[in-house]
Amino acid sequence: MQVEELYRYSDTVNELLARYGVKFGIYKNGTFKEQLFPFDMIPRVIGKDEFAYLEKGLKQRVTALNEFIRDIYSEKKIIRDKVIPEEFVYMGSGYLSQCEGVMPPKGVYTHIAGIDLVQGKNGKWYILEDNLRIPSGASYPMIARDLCRKSSPATFEMNALEDNRNYAKLLRQTMDYVNTGGHTVILTPGRYNAAYFEHSYLAEQTGAHLVTGSELVVENDNLYFVDYSGKKERVGAVYRRISDEYLDPMNFNEESVIGIPHIYDIYRKGNVALINAPGNGVADDKGIYYFVPKMIQYYLGEEAILDNAPTYLPFYEEDMKYVLEHFDDLVLKDVAEAGGYGVVFGSGMTKEEKENFIHMLKANPRRFIAQEVIDFLDINIYENGHAVPRKADLRAFVLMAEEAMVWKSGLTRFSRNPDSFIVNSSQGGGFKDTWVMAE
Amino acid sequence: MAILSVEHSDQLYWLGRYTERVYTTIKVFADQFDSMIDLKTEEYADFCKRQDIPNIYTSKEDFSKRYCFDEEDPNSIYSNLIRAYDNAIVLREEIGSETLAYIQLAVYAMNKAKVSEAPLIQLQRVVDNIVAFWGMADDYIDSERVRSIIKLGKRVERLDLYARIRMKPEELKREMKRLNLRIDQSGMKYNTAKLAHLNYLVEVKPIEYAVFVEEMESLFDMEIEKKAAGF
Repeated sequence: MQVEELYRYSDTVNELLARYGVKFGIYKNGTFKEQLFPFDMIPRVIGKDEFAYLEKGLKQRVTALNEFIRDIYSEKKIIRDKVIPEEFVYMGSGYLSQCEGVMPPKGVYTHIAGIDLVQGKNGKWYILEDNLRIPSGASYPMIARDLCRKSSPATFEMNALEDNRNYAKLLRQTMDYVNTGGHTVILTPGRYNAAYFEHSYLAEQTGAHLVTGSELVVENDNLYFVDYSGKKERVGAVYRRISDEYLDPMNFNEESVIGIPHIYDIYRKGNVALINAPGNGVADDKGIYYFVPKMIQYYLGEEAILDNAPTYLPFYEEDMKYVLEHFDDLVLKDVAEAGGYGVVFGSGMTKEEKENFIHMLKANPRRFIAQEVIDFLDINIYENGHAVPRKADLRAFVLMAEEAMVWKSGLTRFSRNPDSFIVNSSQGGGFKDTWVMAE
Repeated sequence: MAILSVEHSDQLYWLGRYTERVYTTIKVFADQFDSMIDLKTEEYADFCKRQDIPNIYTSKEDFSKRYCFDEEDPNSIYSNLIRAYDNAIVLREEIGSETLAYIQLAVYAMNKAKVSEAPLIQLQRVVDNIVAFWGMADDYIDSERVRSIIKLGKRVERLDLYARIRMKPEELKREMKRLNLRIDQSGMKYNTAKLAHLNYLVEVKPIEYAVFVEEMESLFDMEIEKKAAGF
């Protein structure tokens, strides 16, 4: 059976996704709205050998990133050896001075990494972005697979593929590995967060407790969950889905009302695991991305298996010259932005916009990176019964327990706009399941 | 046994209350609407009075529409369903996706009813999903405590509504008996003196409905219990 056969069940599966509330939240004009995440039935299919190659490259990359974070918050050898200029480390928004000298349980900083890749028309895969702070998206293909299997069992009988519903098991293994003793909880900012569906679904699937900051308390150097009878139960691992700055008002943003006072103090003492580790954003800054192949060489003594998209740092004079000369051929990214925001195409600017942008670029070259526009391999989506090509990326998930584990699936996001490269859900994108063939 | 925070136990309780409120008010509304078909009187004014909600409606047509579907009216059935949803959505790991799905389906059914040419018939689908939610909660939720808190909310709300609409004493007695069976299983702290008084009130004829409603509202008021005990 061809995978296109699945299209016949598109309405059924989308109905089921609506039934289970598979949504994401979005703020429009100051109002919170929940939207269904459009799902295209036809999966991205990755062959067994091709995925084995990706797996090897992803493990290598995340292992090096983890080493980098450990080094930055301890010896800083990579800076001393002038592999990475220190301004790229210390001026990035992800660097937190509070993390200096702090070693997380079992030395894991990048428990869950979401690595964005694209495939060029020549079939070559490129890394587009490393997301190490609180990457989201695994729950969508996980539940979609479950519903597709129910809708069209014959398709899955005839195609031998890796079962991606083991994500919850991998996540649980990751959380348990660093748990310092006690319950495991998923800390959510609340139901008005864009990824709230994911927080609650992962809690259900992993058997962890979904909590908000007000349900946790630090006492006697330990973290406790206070149950409704007033009994306190120790918590040993917190998969926090809130940003570093809101985690602990006593150590980070003092105005945070969603964090837990003093949680960072007991983390520093090794009494609770925070997943992902605070401060790990120092490694997923868009400016640091440029240096990841060098990091791999430096820490692992290996050549990077997966290439970055060709990237230029206007910070370097030579690169600035190249960027100005090839401005119309490049995509420029603000290193402080995420979610598809702060991305502009040189070719899409008016003369005036270009002049203004170049002025800004020259004034603050550290703020931007420039990349060659990769001619993505289009993948088909179905619209009104017809296959139409669209730009798509792949978010691969790498989880770190005793060693790095790559989830044999991923979130394939596509642009619904035929003229756009932006695939983010917040900007109208949809998603597909990612099949990794087992044979 | 699953650990449960104060926040979640409160949300479970209100999930029970709001699902019951939607279920019973649709049923009561349907009866009221039926009698209004033949009458020109503004019976809905009495309905509002008994439910202790402001009569903001201008006609029986306006009442039928807004009481059921007005998102801006905090007393509408629609608003109560959204409150049930708001409580359910944060309880996925306690009640499970399968159970939660029926609240989601009730919301979809309500939105369909709102634009339907025969809203009353469509409202039956909201009721169907609420009933399915309770059935699924019974079947799917492992934790007895979680199930009991939802049911406790349901029982309290039903008694409150039944008293407001002056339901027959036998009905109140029956529901009171069910509340007595459930309240300790929920593990929620309640005011024992208030419970005893409520049990007394359903035995006395004629029932003092207004007092019953007042007492029911303070069943979980522990401050009164503490004062009574001399704390």
